Amino acid sequence: MENKNKYWKGIEEAEQHPEFVKSKGNEFSDALPIEEMLSTLDDDLSANRRDFLKFFGFSVSAVALAACNKASVKYAIPYIEKPQNVTPGNPNYYASTCASCNSGCGMIVKTREGRPIKLDGSNESPVSSGALCATGQAGILTMYDINRLANPLENGDEQTDWAKIDKKIISKLTSIAATFGAIRIVTSTNNSPSFAAAVNLFKQKYPTTELVTYDAVSYSGILIANEKSFGKRVIPNYNFEKAEVIVSFGADFLGTWISPVEYTKKWVKNRDPKNGKMSRHYQFESILSLTGSNADIRVPMKESKEGIYVISLYNEIAKLAGVAQLAVTQNAELAGNQIKNSAKELFNAKGKSLVVSKSNNPEIQTVINGINMLLGNYGTTVDLDNYSNQSKFIEADFEKFVNDLSTGTVKGVVFVNCNPVYSYHNSAKLSEGLKNAELVISTSISKDETSKFAGYVCPDNHFLESWGDAEPKNGLISFTQPTISPVFNTRQVIESLLTWSAVMPENAKAYNFIKSNWASSGEDVWNKSIHDGVLLKPELTVTIPSFAANLSDSVSKIVSSLPKSDTPELIIYQKVGVRDGSMANNPWLHELPDPVTKVCYDNYLSISKSDAEKNGFEQNDVVNISINNIRISEIPVLIQPGQAQGTYAIAMGYGRTESGKVGKNLGKNVFPFVKTENGSYTYNISGPISFEKTRKNYVLAQTQTHHTIEGRDFIREASIGQYKKNPAVKNENKLNLISLWEEHDYTKGHKWGMAIDLNKCTGCGSCVVSCHIENNVPVVGRDEVILRREMHWMRIDRYYSFYDDGTILTKEKKLNKVDASVYDNISVVNAPMMCQHCDHAPCETVCPVLATTHASEGINQMTYNRCIGTKYCANNCPYKVRRFNWFKYNDNDKFDYHFNNDLGKMVINPDVTVRHRGVMEKCSFCIQKIQAGKLTAKRENRKLVDGEIQTACSSSCPSGAIVFGDKNDPNSQISKLFRDERSYHMLDEVGIKPAMMYMTKIRNTDTTI
Amino acid sequence: MFKKLISRRNIAISASIFSFLTATMAQTVERASDSSNSNLFYTDNTFLILLFLCLLFLIIAFFLYRVKSHLDNILHEKTTGKEKPTYYEKSLRPWLQTLNPTITALTIATILGLITFIKAYQFGMNEVGVQQNYSPTQPINYSHKLHAGKLQIDCKYCHSTAEYSKQASIPSANTCMNCHKFVNLRDRYDGKVSPEIDKIYKAVGWDPENSEYIKDYKQKPIEWVRIHNLPDLAYFNHSQHVSVGKVECQTCHGPVQEMDKVYQFSTLQMDWCINCHREKSIDVANNKYYEDLHKKIKLEGKTVYTVEQNGGTECAKCHY
Repeated sequence: MENKNKYWKGIEEAEQHPEFVKSKGNEFSDALPIEEMLSTLDDDLSANRRDFLKFFGFSVSAVALAACNKASVKYAIPYIEKPQNVTPGNPNYYASTCASCNSGCGMIVKTREGRPIKLDGSNESPVSSGALCATGQAGILTMYDINRLANPLENGDEQTDWAKIDKKIISKLTSIAATFGAIRIVTSTNNSPSFAAAVNLFKQKYPTTELVTYDAVSYSGILIANEKSFGKRVIPNYNFEKAEVIVSFGADFLGTWISPVEYTKKWVKNRDPKNGKMSRHYQFESILSLTGSNADIRVPMKESKEGIYVISLYNEIAKLAGVAQLAVTQNAELAGNQIKNSAKELFNAKGKSLVVSKSNNPEIQTVINGINMLLGNYGTTVDLDNYSNQSKFIEADFEKFVNDLSTGTVKGVVFVNCNPVYSYHNSAKLSEGLKNAELVISTSISKDETSKFAGYVCPDNHFLESWGDAEPKNGLISFTQPTISPVFNTRQVIESLLTWSAVMPENAKAYNFIKSNWASSGEDVWNKSIHDGVLLKPELTVTIPSFAANLSDSVSKIVSSLPKSDTPELIIYQKVGVRDGSMANNPWLHELPDPVTKVCYDNYLSISKSDAEKNGFEQNDVVNISINNIRISEIPVLIQPGQAQGTYAIAMGYGRTESGKVGKNLGKNVFPFVKTENGSYTYNISGPISFEKTRKNYVLAQTQTHHTIEGRDFIREASIGQYKKNPAVKNENKLNLISLWEEHDYTKGHKWGMAIDLNKCTGCGSCVVSCHIENNVPVVGRDEVILRREMHWMRIDRYYSFYDDGTILTKEKKLNKVDASVYDNISVVNAPMMCQHCDHAPCETVCPVLATTHASEGINQMTYNRCIGTKYCANNCPYKVRRFNWFKYNDNDKFDYHFNNDLGKMVINPDVTVRHRGVMEKCSFCIQKIQAGKLTAKRENRKLVDGEIQTACSSSCPSGAIVFGDKNDPNSQISKLFRDERSYHMLDEVGIKPAMMYMTKIRNTDTTI
Repeated sequence: MFKKLISRRNIAISASIFSFLTATMAQTVERASDSSNSNLFYTDNTFLILLFLCLLFLIIAFFLYRVKSHLDNILHEKTTGKEKPTYYEKSLRPWLQTLNPTITALTIATILGLITFIKAYQFGMNEVGVQQNYSPTQPINYSHKLHAGKLQIDCKYCHSTAEYSKQASIPSANTCMNCHKFVNLRDRYDGKVSPEIDKIYKAVGWDPENSEYIKDYKQKPIEWVRIHNLPDLAYFNHSQHVSVGKVECQTCHGPVQEMDKVYQFSTLQMDWCINCHREKSIDVANNKYYEDLHKKIKLEGKTVYTVEQNGGTECAKCHY
């Protein structure tokens, strides 16, 4: 209990705001209006008796009538010819490739009776290595989106058929090509060899065609810098697993940057203190990113000044290496001399260190390359041979395309998997230009901002309905295979392009075309690749490139573009989940609380506490912002601890005007603020920002202080130095409690348990979405989240603490006298929280109807059909993990997400009950998966293998923080983890003996490593 | 005051009796209307229709009696000039006056209330959703007695997935065609294909004259009526019982090999499941999955190890 008040979930908790204090003791936000009901009842007793009799008579007859309703006749309609590999009741698994972003993670699709119901990471693909992020997993619902286009469209809204639309498009394309009018295929980064081949055929037919790449988020700074430095316009392969010291300038590589799942997998390999050695991770950033919240040392930094810090870091290292420094008038230093410190550590770990930057300025990236070169990281942590193809977007190409549109040179445009009218900063110019084109084709799967300007909309298949290949990394081919036949009358883009290229219909079929492209590898290789989902070519031996860039040139450019005065700046960033907004119509992503801010739904103006005080803003105030004559009106304010002073941040991906029922007009679009600097888009905009506070107030759906734990000792953390001295640091006091309860007998079979390593958990939210999908958890919407009625079975508690071990808070109970700048420097712990399946569960003893009971395998069972909804259990749960169904969420148009239409319901897991109104629910340890795993073993007459049964959360975790298994098996991974000195039970002192253990977070914060 | 109370209570009682009667009648009507439907849920509703008619006749008789007594009264009044004292006035009223009105009313109300409650409880527990003996007419007049009984075809030849899947599955039409390509009983139908077998041919598009599948035929699946309807809140897996538990099909489905028309043999109620789980023992010796458990039991000297002892009656074994 020594940690009292050290951790806090939000400023309102740290400062003990009155509203927080009032609400923290209540399990539910609103008290039930019982008093009110009673007070109206005792008005007139005689009238009440009459009412009672009326109700009595009515209810008896109603119940009797309802009960005698006969059961409807149900049919069991078998196949005419049963497909050999489809067995009703058994799932099938297919390897495929996720296309929710450009990372190209390999995935395993679980299908039941021919419909995909769950996506998981594939072990075969080195990009995903068995995990998938929140966005990727939610991609399945995009296929079951009721707002998808069902047919090709022409002239706006007229539905037509493929034959007609093809005929018209071909004649238009032919006439454009005949008059030498330019045709452009605009696509998001596409690394599919087959797509490239299809475009080539298209080019042969229409020679004026060119391919233009457009992404909403640009990484061109890295591409151009690498071209200048090494003559290769690629994104390198970053080997975080080989780095002992990592310095990241704002790059959110665990959350959103380039390929987050892959980087998380690699980063976490060096985060296990068991070996007595952990990587040291520095993060210099303006907003508190997911990566920053996991860094050992995080220093707030204004992004506009990043250039000078990068140069200073170079100079510090150069000083140590004894080579020439870069010429600047004065080196800059961050708080706590962290530039100098990190330089020293980087230099000590030469060849085993890594510096990355989020900046999209090629000059800064060139200096970053220079630093990595100086440190000898090329060939070890930075690999230019097995490079990444995950982003190919170069602004100049697209800008040229927009100009050509305006001048009328471009006559035909085909948009593939991109939505520039929404995400391009000068959207008006683009949409004006599109009016000049004779032919605009959109292949968007649902209506979006761009398809509004398209004369013809030829909807693409969803990636779960498609054949495809991709090369996310040099030498790694990842294949896509359909797992359901197209739900609507849609057609793959490859097929469309080939049809318009007048390829024979048989050859234009995506399967035939893609297979023919791999014909040279042979049938066996093809079959194996489709089975595995990937084709791995041998990795190239890494060469050490020679550095050819002119650093002093870069330095002078950086210095000249530094802001002259200390102006405020606006940061446009990607949120984990919604990312660039292409999946804005996906309710699962909106319902997922942002890992750092814990806000669901909207985007907001994120500011530091100091700036809020300076401007007179409070949380949930609504403000108007304008920069450079671009104005965004009415955006709510969020005060974010850890944010650098003078920076204001708003997430991109919101404010979609055409996206379907969920995403439409949700939040504000900030893409218009994006600026072009030195030919690259910049996402930090400095300059005079004017704010105008409105009188409005907009409550953000922020879950951070829901289910608060009131300062109880949940979290344990230590530094690596303390850990080395004593591996059981903070866990020394093993409690020896006498129990009032009888112990359960777990000796007969299994005893399920789960270990969560707080050291590994990054808080990315992948498990939350995975659980959401697997267990048919309903989406409740913004208003219900505000009322603390979110239904997520698991949540990730994000705790803040001050760097200085909470001394400020313990000395002064109330922080309101303390300077607001204390909130600039905070550290974060993420703790996934779900039902702990206590041996002596407090919920079990209070249930009046025995709806929640204990199983002989250690699981706390929840039986919905017994539950009468007294909510006693939720009130008695110290972890606050029980969720009450306030409403019937399915078939209810008030919850207009995916549970109220037949298409959206296809994603429901048939093995899990869809809960009704008035019952409690909670994590079941994925009992359906346990039962299925046990049954398979019994049927196959063998023992259960450790790791065979995975819960939804443990299988999705990119960092491997969640481990599930049988404690009774002494050799299982879970038993080993339970014996680890770092493991502890949360709230051990209550004596309820949870089946879950958490492992102490170890930070690499000691001065030297 | 008391009078008022009595009358209110009477309203309540009559309301509940009325509602109960309405319910029964509604049910009767609904069941009766079902008889026109070939896929009816209840087949023995003749009795109910008769009951309904009885009630109707009783009501008519009552009215006729009232008319007769009224006419008698008029006659009596005309002849004697005085009103005829009714049975009520003559003998019932003096007796009724000896009773305490409150206690009487309460007693009657309690008795009626108890009967209603017990009936409703029984109905709720044993009738609602319980479909024992449900035997709907199927689209094809398929006889298990012939196939499984006389011809001795193994259950799992057709319901093959029972061994390895959650569902036992109705066989797909191509399973039928394995035999019925050749078996069409022409000899019994004057050289024509049996009309029932022809339904399979119509579904799959088989041309019995030329013994081949018709090209580009639009196949139509056979819409069998599902007999065993477990509620969605209960999870049941066939393979668990058939492959692992080695339970005979007949244990739950009854003597299917003797049924011309299949009916639901068991109640499929939870106590029925639980009872079996309490009695049935697990063959721990012959499944390697139970290796450790088997050793442990042997040490303890136990010979019988029931499903219940293994946690087979815990809620989350079936409800999740």
